[in-house]
Amino acid sequence: MNNSNQAQHRWGMAIDLDRCTGCQACVAACHAENNLPLSDPESAAKGRAVHWIRVDRYYEGEFPDIRVKYMPVLCQQCDEAPCEPVCPVYATYKNPEGLNVQVYNRCVGTRYCANNCPYSVRFFNWFDPVWPSPLDLQHNPDVSIRMSGVMEKCTFCIQRIKRAETDAKNEQRPLTDGEVQPACVQSCPAEAMVFGDLNDPESKVSRLAGAGRATRLLEDLGTEPKVFYLQRAT
Amino acid sequence: MFLAADFVDQEGVARAILNLRAEGVSTTDLAVFSDEPIEFPRRVLHRPSRMSLAVVIGAVTSCLLVIGFVYFTQYNYPVVTGGMPIFSFWATGVVFYELTMLGAIVTTFFWFLGESGLLRRGSRGPAAVIESGAIALRVKCEPNRADIVRDLFERAGAKNVRTLGAAV
Amino acid sequence: MATASTVIRYEQVRRDLWRPLSGASSRYLVTLLVLSAVVVWGLCAWGYQLHKGIGVAGIRRPVFWGFYLVNFVFWIGISHAGTLISAILRLTDADWRKPVTRAAEAITVFALMIGGLFPIIHLGRAWLFFWLFPYPNSRLLWPNYRSPLFWDVTAISTYLMGSTIYLFLPLIPDVAQLAEHATGWRRRLYSALSLGWTGSDQQWHALERAMKLMAGIILAVAVSVHTVVSWDFSMSVAPMWHSSIFGPYFVVGAIFSGIAALLIVMAIIRRVMHLEQYLTPHHFNNLAKLLLLMSLLWLYFTIAENLTAWYGNEPKEMNVFGSRVRGHFAPYFWLMVFCNFVVPFVLLGIRRLRSIRTATIASVTVIIGMWLERFLIIIPTLSFGRLPAAWGRYAPTWVEISITAATFAAMGLLYLLFSKLFPIVSIWEFEPHEEPED
Repeated sequence: MNNSNQAQHRWGMAIDLDRCTGCQACVAACHAENNLPLSDPESAAKGRAVHWIRVDRYYEGEFPDIRVKYMPVLCQQCDEAPCEPVCPVYATYKNPEGLNVQVYNRCVGTRYCANNCPYSVRFFNWFDPVWPSPLDLQHNPDVSIRMSGVMEKCTFCIQRIKRAETDAKNEQRPLTDGEVQPACVQSCPAEAMVFGDLNDPESKVSRLAGAGRATRLLEDLGTEPKVFYLQRAT
Repeated sequence: MFLAADFVDQEGVARAILNLRAEGVSTTDLAVFSDEPIEFPRRVLHRPSRMSLAVVIGAVTSCLLVIGFVYFTQYNYPVVTGGMPIFSFWATGVVFYELTMLGAIVTTFFWFLGESGLLRRGSRGPAAVIESGAIALRVKCEPNRADIVRDLFERAGAKNVRTLGAAV
Repeated sequence: MATASTVIRYEQVRRDLWRPLSGASSRYLVTLLVLSAVVVWGLCAWGYQLHKGIGVAGIRRPVFWGFYLVNFVFWIGISHAGTLISAILRLTDADWRKPVTRAAEAITVFALMIGGLFPIIHLGRAWLFFWLFPYPNSRLLWPNYRSPLFWDVTAISTYLMGSTIYLFLPLIPDVAQLAEHATGWRRRLYSALSLGWTGSDQQWHALERAMKLMAGIILAVAVSVHTVVSWDFSMSVAPMWHSSIFGPYFVVGAIFSGIAALLIVMAIIRRVMHLEQYLTPHHFNNLAKLLLLMSLLWLYFTIAENLTAWYGNEPKEMNVFGSRVRGHFAPYFWLMVFCNFVVPFVLLGIRRLRSIRTATIASVTVIIGMWLERFLIIIPTLSFGRLPAAWGRYAPTWVEISITAATFAAMGLLYLLFSKLFPIVSIWEFEPHEEPED
C-alpha cells in the first residue's frame, strides 16, 4: 500500500555467476542471520531442508571434460509475483519498497504460494523448529522464529534494511549505496553479489543490472524479478 | 367448519372441485390431500406461484449484496494488501456467482416453506387423514352450507364424508 | 426380479422400503464397528498430525500438495454423483431415475462433507481455517477473494448447502409418512423433520416447484464447483497445470466417478436390502450406458490434454508429460487408462457382457482410475517444476494413508447410518411402472 512514506527505494540484487565459486558461504550466513532451522541428512533427503538461498549446480559438457556452473537462487522478489494473488489470506504481499514479504502471522499454510513459485524458493515449516544446543542461544533477536505450519522465504534481510533506514533517518542523511547488505552479500568472499537500490541510477546494482551481461531467471514468465544474474554470453 | 371426503380417483376429485366452484366456493377454501402429487388441469384447480420470480429476485439481491460488500470493504476496511485489490470484477466474479446461486438456493427453500404453508401451522386448518392411495378433498365452508357441500361430495362419488375439527 | 408386467402395490412399496429401517443384523453391526474403527484411527492420525506438525505427512518441497489435495479433488468429484445426475434426470423427466435419485443425492452430501474437510486437514495451521471467512477482527485479517482457494470456500459451501436442501426436500413427504407409523425417538425425529407435512395440494405444488428450481440451480452450481476446483490448478503457472481444458475435463471426470460411485452404492444396497424389485437391471443398464459415455468423454479429454502437450514439445511440459507416460509415473498412468477406459469399454461396450456384476466391476476400476487421475494431475507437475535443481519425489506416509482410508470408511459409515434412518428409495416418487425391455 503506497501511503505517506512513499517508497524511495526499490531494492534489487545482482549476482555475478562468473565470479561465484559455489562456496555456500551465503547459505551459511543466511542460516545464521535469519534463524533458519537446521536439518539433518534424513530430513534433507526428505525435502525438508530450509535454505532461503541455495546454490544450484548446472553441468556443462560430458565427463571428464565437465564444467560446473553455480547459481545462487533466492527469492527473486518479483514485481509480478505469482505467489501473491493466490494466497487466500493476504499472507504474502508487496511492501512499499517492492519487497515481496511474508506475514507469518497471517499464514494458515495452504502452500499454494509455494506451488505457484516457478523458482521454488518458498519453504514451509513442517514442524516447530529446533536447534541443537548451544545454537538455540545464538538466535538473531531481530528476526522472528516461525512456528510449525507457516510459509517462509528470503526477505532480502529486511531487518537490516529497516535498521539502516532508521539509522540514516536519525542522522538525517540519505542512505549511501552499499550501506545495506544482506547477510549473503556481506559474506560472499568472491564479491559476486551486489545489493542496492534500483531506483538510484548511480548505484552499483543499477549499473550492473543495466549492463549487457544481465539476465533474469525465467524472465519469459513475466514475473519481473529484481534479482539479476550476470554472466558472459556463451 | 371443515368438511372432508375421500375419493378413489382423481377424476372424482376434479368433478367435485368443479361443482363446488360452481356453487361459489373459492379455491382458497379447498385443499386436496394425497400420498403423492396430483396435477389438476388449470381450469379445475389453479394454484398461482411466484416462486420462480422470488428466486430470481433473491439471487439478484444476494449478488448485489455481495458485490456491494466486497466493493465497500475495499474502502472501509484498512487491510494491508500491498496494492492488491480486494474488489476485482473478474477475479472475484467466481465468488459473486457462487453467492448469487446461494441466494437462489436459500430463497427457494424459504419460499417453499412459505408457499407450502409449512410455517403457518395455526391458520391452515386440520389435515384430512387419508387411507393410503386415496385422495381426500377438504372444503372450508359456513355451517349453513354444509348440506350443499355434502350433497355435492356424494354426487361426485365421494366416500366417508366427514366433519373435521371444530366449527369455525 | 420384476418382470415386465409386475406392478408393485403402494403398501408393498412402503413395506419393502421401511423394512431395512428397523432392526439391525449382526452383519450390519459388525460393518458399523469396523468402519467406525477405521474412522477413529484416521481421526487419531489427524490428531497426531495436528500435534506434531504437518511434516508427519509425506509432502515436501517441491511437492507441497499431496494425498490430501488428491482426496479433495476425488471426493468433490464423487459428490457429482448425486446432485448432478439426479438433477439432469429430473430436468429431462427421465422416469427411470426415480428409485435412484435419493441414493445419489445422499452420496453427494456425504462426499461433500468429506471432501470439504480435506483442505482443512491439509492446512499447515488447520486450527486457523476460519481465517478464510470474512469477519471483521482486530488483527486486520481478511480473505483474498481473488485466490482460487477462496473460490473453493464459497463454491463448496454453496454446493453443500444446495445439495443438502436438494436431498432434504423430497425427503419431507417420506418422513411425514414415517412419523405416523414410528414410535419413540424415531417418531420425534421424523415429525421434527417433516415440518408438519400433511400432503395437501398446496404443499405438493410448492414441493414440486421447489424441486424443479433446485434441479436447475444445483446443476449450475455443480458445474461451477468442479470448474473452480480445477482452477486451483489451472490458475497457477505450473507446467501442465496452466491449461484451459481443465474446467470441462474436471467436470467430466467428476460426473464419471460420480456415476461409478452411484453404481457401486446401488449394487450394494440392492443386495443388502433386497431391493431387487426397485433397483432393476434396467436402472443398472441405463447407468452403465451413461458410465460408458462418460468413459469415452474422459478419454477424449485426456487425449486432448496430453496430445497437445506432446505435440507442442515444450521442455517444461515434456518433463511432466514424460514422467507421466514413460517415466516414474508411467505404471500409474497406464493403470489409469486401463481402469478408466479399457475395463468399462470392454465390459460395458459389449452388450453381451453388460450386467449388474460387470457394471459394478467397471465402477470399481473407474473409482480407482479416477483417483489415480487426480494423483497424476497433481503430483508429477509439482515433482518436475521449472527449475530442474528443485525437482523432488513424493511418497505418502502412514498418516496420509490412514486419513485417506478413514474417509472411505467415513463414506460407508455415513451411508450405513443414513440408510438405517431414511428410506433409500424415495417412496412418494416411486410409481409402479411398466418395465421397458432393455
